[in-house]
Amino acid sequence: MTHAAAQAPAGKIVDRDRSAALAFLAPSLLFLLVAFVTPLILLLGVSLAGPSGLSLDAYGKLLGTGYYLTVIWNSLRLALLTTIFALAIAYPAAFALARARGMVRTALLTCLFLPLAASVIVKAFAWTILLRSDGIVNRILVGLGLIEAPIRMIFTETALIVGSVNIFLPFMILPIYAVVTQLDRRLSEAAATLGAPPIAAFLKVTLPLTLPGIIAGVALVFSLSVSAYVVPTLLIGERYPTLASTIAKAYLLARDPQFGAAAGVALLVIALIVVTLSARLAGRENSR
Amino acid sequence: MAPGAPHLVVRQVSKRFGAAHVLDRVDLTIARGELVTLLGPSGCGKTTLLRLIAGLESPDAGSVELAGRDITRVPPHRRNVGVVFQSYALFPHLTVYGNVAFGLKSRGRSRGEIDAAVGRALSLVHLEHLGARRIAALSGGQQQRVALARAIAVEPDVLLFDEALSALDRKLREEMQVELRRLLREVGATAIFVTHDQDEALTMSDRVAVMFAGRIEQVDEPRIVYARPATLFTLGFVGLSTRVSGIVAGSNNGRVEVDTAVGRLSAIGNFLIGSPVVVAVRPEHVRAAPETAGNCVAGRVRSIVFHGSNSLVEVDAGAATTLLAQIPNDVSAPPRVGDEIRLCWPVAETFAFPMPEAGA
Ligand SMILES: Nc1ncnc2c1ncn2[C@@H]1O[C@H](COP(=O)(O)OP(=O)(O)O)[C@@H](O)[C@H]1O
Ligand SMILES: [Mg+2]
Repeated sequence: MTHAAAQAPAGKIVDRDRSAALAFLAPSLLFLLVAFVTPLILLLGVSLAGPSGLSLDAYGKLLGTGYYLTVIWNSLRLALLTTIFALAIAYPAAFALARARGMVRTALLTCLFLPLAASVIVKAFAWTILLRSDGIVNRILVGLGLIEAPIRMIFTETALIVGSVNIFLPFMILPIYAVVTQLDRRLSEAAATLGAPPIAAFLKVTLPLTLPGIIAGVALVFSLSVSAYVVPTLLIGERYPTLASTIAKAYLLARDPQFGAAAGVALLVIALIVVTLSARLAGRENSR
Repeated sequence: MAPGAPHLVVRQVSKRFGAAHVLDRVDLTIARGELVTLLGPSGCGKTTLLRLIAGLESPDAGSVELAGRDITRVPPHRRNVGVVFQSYALFPHLTVYGNVAFGLKSRGRSRGEIDAAVGRALSLVHLEHLGARRIAALSGGQQQRVALARAIAVEPDVLLFDEALSALDRKLREEMQVELRRLLREVGATAIFVTHDQDEALTMSDRVAVMFAGRIEQVDEPRIVYARPATLFTLGFVGLSTRVSGIVAGSNNGRVEVDTAVGRLSAIGNFLIGSPVVVAVRPEHVRAAPETAGNCVAGRVRSIVFHGSNSLVEVDAGAATTLLAQIPNDVSAPPRVGDEIRLCWPVAETFAFPMPEAGA
């Protein structure tokens, strides 16, 4: 888009481009307005509505209590660790996927897409079956004599991160894979013939050209995992309260919609910051 | 042209991809400052040979020497070879300046040196004013020039061009051929052009290496490749020719008499009596005027293609044989389609080649 706009000789063409784009966007904008923006405004309203008019009490409680700061940190920590590990696994995997041919590629892509069809709850339960003390992993380890008694795996942070990375991994791989398939292999060859050793060629050519995919994947996985509810509830439970579980508790148990709404707004703000930041970064990449 | 000391030596290089022999014991020696073309049909292994020289593929057998150094096992980034790729392979995330500076930065040159070298390279290709442009905002011809500037900026020991001009339209391509040759002479570069375009090969190079099915058939100056083709393949691939097959009936002192479907023809060549051969002549040596000596064949004009100063005349000589003659257009009574005509040509321009084996 920036490319076309920069090249357009007169402002008129840009205007026509804009209005055409707007016309195409209109249906989705309308849908978002009804289904997303309106509830958000209501949410914001609820979060500010105390028993006796306007109040910031809910936000005060959220940001002024040690316990709730831990909750916020838990959500951020889960999202951060999930994103980092998912990226570390997904980046090479996306290249392997893009380089694979024929049956292998089809098989790998199927492995990637199939789990998306299964519900998060099913996948999280599958992990609990694998990891609980009489689960498959423990039985194998005991059977092999590697450990004497079952070790505790489920309800640990490790289990949480492993499960969360597994469940959100496709959302990291797919955008990176999409960019890698567009990558011209001649470019790294050109870098090599120009005297760049493999690592320099990677840092100066491959990495910058795949950055848009990385940014998209990071934004997706971070915003999905920061607001995850099922995964931490099933894989670690009460020991690791998150913003999502706090919202659920506020509405379902404590019947405190104002506080639940405030926690929801906090979650939204975090996701907004990440998405805006990555859109900025991606935009800067594209316009270079 | 007497070649100087060998600068690039490709020795007995073979390469297979799976079961396919893509290069078969290729030898090629290039002197410093020489411009050599690899000419051959698509799929004959030109790109593979170029990639082997650049270090982007490694040979199954044989060796490559550049500037006195055996580089057979040296990775591409330590070879000092410049490549202009068919698709240009410019870095889309960098500016024109960034692309041209890439090789200099990789070599750890200082800022000042880089600035100066980029400026020189860009002015050689007349793009000094476009340093800040993004690659996407350039025309095809400009991208071609940036790719060239990027490759020459590092002063490589040899420059490799893989069909570098083929994406340009005809007029621009012809201009670039002339300009590129001038430019490479100016900087004293040693270069290999890969092309399947015989005009490009004959125009641009000091020597032409004709490739066919993974082998080099002939390496010679363009005029010799054209006038004295070493193999039937070279003859057929470069320029037009008439070819008639026959059996050697007499052989004497480098001359053979060959019995063909259109009569007995004399040709240059050394063959045993009874050998199957192909007799060939270029159309520009074939005359419609009555001759006293040489080979003569009668036939009927089938078609005439006008080419300005001359016309290419196709003559049906019977027995499923077609003769090509290039007739000047200044004759008073030009031949017309359907005319009976007698064509003659000198024996010295008639060549005999061994008959290719069936399937070859
Ligand atoms: N990486 C490769 N893997 C398998 N076959 C290849 C590869 N590169 C080239 N070939 C095959 O080698 C032959 C020669 O290719 P190439 O050198 O590109 O020919 P040219 O450049 O003369 O058209 C072709 O038949 C091509 O299919
Ligand atoms: Mg090729």
